[in-house]
Amino acid sequence: MTHLSLKNVSKHFGDFTAVNDFNLDVNKGEFVSFLGPSGCGKTTTLRMIAGFEIPSTGQITINGADITNKAPSQRNVGMVFQSYALFPNMTVAQNIGFGLRIRKEKEADVVDRVKEMLAIINLEKKADSYPYQLSGGQMQRVALGRALAIRPEVLLLDEPLSALDAKIRIALRAEIRGIQQKLGITAIYVTHDQEEALSLSDRIVVMREGEMDQVGTPFQIYNFPTTVFVANFVGTLNNASAEVVDPAKSIIAIDGIQFESAVDLKERKKGDKVRVAIRPERFNFVSQEKKANIVDCRIENITFLGSIVRIQVMIGNSKFYMDTFNNPFLELPKIGDKDQVTCSREAVLVLDE
Amino acid sequence: MNILARIRRIPFWSWIWFILGALYFLLPLYATVNFSLRMERDVIGFKAYVRAFEDPDFLKTFMYSNMLALMTILASIILIVPTAYWIRLRLPEARRVVEFITLLPFVVPAIILVFGLIRIYSSPIKIPFTDTTLLQPLTTFEIGTDILIVAGYVVLGLPYMYRSVDTGMRTVDVRTLTEAAQSLGASWFTIIVKVILPNIRAALLSGALLTFAIVVGEVTLASFLGVPAFGPYLFLLGQHRAYEPAALSFASFLLTWLAMGLIQLFTGGQGQASGAH
Ligand SMILES: Nc1ncnc2c1ncn2[C@@H]1O[C@H](COP(=O)(O)OP(=O)(O)OP(=O)(O)O)[C@@H](O)[C@H]1O
Ligand SMILES: [Mg+2]
Repeated sequence: MTHLSLKNVSKHFGDFTAVNDFNLDVNKGEFVSFLGPSGCGKTTTLRMIAGFEIPSTGQITINGADITNKAPSQRNVGMVFQSYALFPNMTVAQNIGFGLRIRKEKEADVVDRVKEMLAIINLEKKADSYPYQLSGGQMQRVALGRALAIRPEVLLLDEPLSALDAKIRIALRAEIRGIQQKLGITAIYVTHDQEEALSLSDRIVVMREGEMDQVGTPFQIYNFPTTVFVANFVGTLNNASAEVVDPAKSIIAIDGIQFESAVDLKERKKGDKVRVAIRPERFNFVSQEKKANIVDCRIENITFLGSIVRIQVMIGNSKFYMDTFNNPFLELPKIGDKDQVTCSREAVLVLDE
Repeated sequence: MNILARIRRIPFWSWIWFILGALYFLLPLYATVNFSLRMERDVIGFKAYVRAFEDPDFLKTFMYSNMLALMTILASIILIVPTAYWIRLRLPEARRVVEFITLLPFVVPAIILVFGLIRIYSSPIKIPFTDTTLLQPLTTFEIGTDILIVAGYVVLGLPYMYRSVDTGMRTVDVRTLTEAAQSLGASWFTIIVKVILPNIRAALLSGALLTFAIVVGEVTLASFLGVPAFGPYLFLLGQHRAYEPAALSFASFLLTWLAMGLIQLFTGGQGQASGAH
């Protein structure tokens, strides 16, 4: 069931287009991330849903009701900011109860609801602390509790974790997802961190320069990017220009070295220029596993990344990365070695040049 | 030990300059106090203070000036808080212009301000392009003059009040706080009263105390507008008496210090409530 819907939404600042023709239907209880590089219009889109910006054109509805021009205070939309934005003059409990007291709810109900939220965000002991007495992670949890206390239709989060350090970021990420699923609340999450988007979302909207580039589940976005931009932005990706050799058999060639792809190339002609994209982890050394595409390569560089070893190889004149799991009992190749690598047909993505 | 070591590390010449500066400031003050205590020959006592405080005009002018100060503070808060708030929120490009305007009192002397006020408001206020009189000249009746002088004082206090308030708003990021409150359903009135004002109260207080200090000692506007204020009273007293003005000067020094102490106290307290992250 569609809960939140954006139809043909655009936003211009003067003659600059920050968001162009944005279309999205979000289901009740769905967690959708807006992912994209800085300045691509994620925040602007979120602020239009919150009511802090009015779309230049288009329509935004919640439960079918048009809210495009409603004041932010009338939308019942919860917002979590990167900078926490807790009221410094109020305690944790007062911050959480603020929205309820504005709604003139009975004091006893407010107290109950605040208790409930404190339990959910796991900060019962800090009810009477002031924001300055909390850590960043705790402040952001309070902000989350404050936004959820009013039982909002939609929860909006604008890079809520980017001011926190890596460990807390990952812990709080899981916590946010857990709370969202438990309450079954519809959430829109803005981030430029692909790992965050992949791990949290039901669906991801990848944005570029104000446009939606691709919408899909994390699985689709990562494994089947439809544009070079998405392929590059999400995860590490090898890509090289190639030429179609045999459209019927889906064979392409990089510098004359042939690869077989699972992508249907019947629409293309022999000699067409295309871009080939292969994830580093889809490569294997031939000695380890036998696959469809076996090509010669030369080892250029080896980088140790902890659980993963990233090996840079030359295939023809194109550089490729390949990732293998770190295994202390396996011998790594040496720089300058000639070797053979392989990857499955499915690993070979063919995109427009 | 630690402090001693640190003091010893301060270079010799720094000490000299510090002591010279302190003397420059403290010697006249000491002289004033000393002088004010010697009203009776060969006796150190508070006679000058008693005399000064006993004068009924002292109390009258002092209370009047306090009332003016209070009005000025109220008027400038009502004028400046929403202005500074709106500039932070919606009109950041207007900040330079407004800052320039608020600095004008440093450039235009009070004497020019008061002559301007007198020139304009000593004729009746009419509806433009008609002969219908709205109000008698403000300078001709008491409340009118009070309004004029408070308006003048608001201008004189502008640099201090605006700067305090604006700095206060910068330190709490009023913009995001406003948006947070809006998304929780708060109206503009609620936002200003429950979120903005409590978070800039230290700034308001320091602006208010500076305004207070300016108004209570101000002479030019008060004497040219002919109001019974404390500044002109002190000035007059100085021309006819010797000891009492010294006593009052020192008393007002103490008052200023008390005010500064209050600022420290309240800003210290608020530093806790607002906290930096
Ligand atoms: N009020 C405004 N006036 C003019 N231009 C604006 C305004 N707000 C945003 N923009 C522009 O719109 C574009 C999109 O901004 P937006 O804040 O949505 O980006 P973002 O995707 O959230 O980026 P980031 O990851 O850096 O937060 C930017 O180029 C920005 O300069
Ligand atoms: Mg942003």
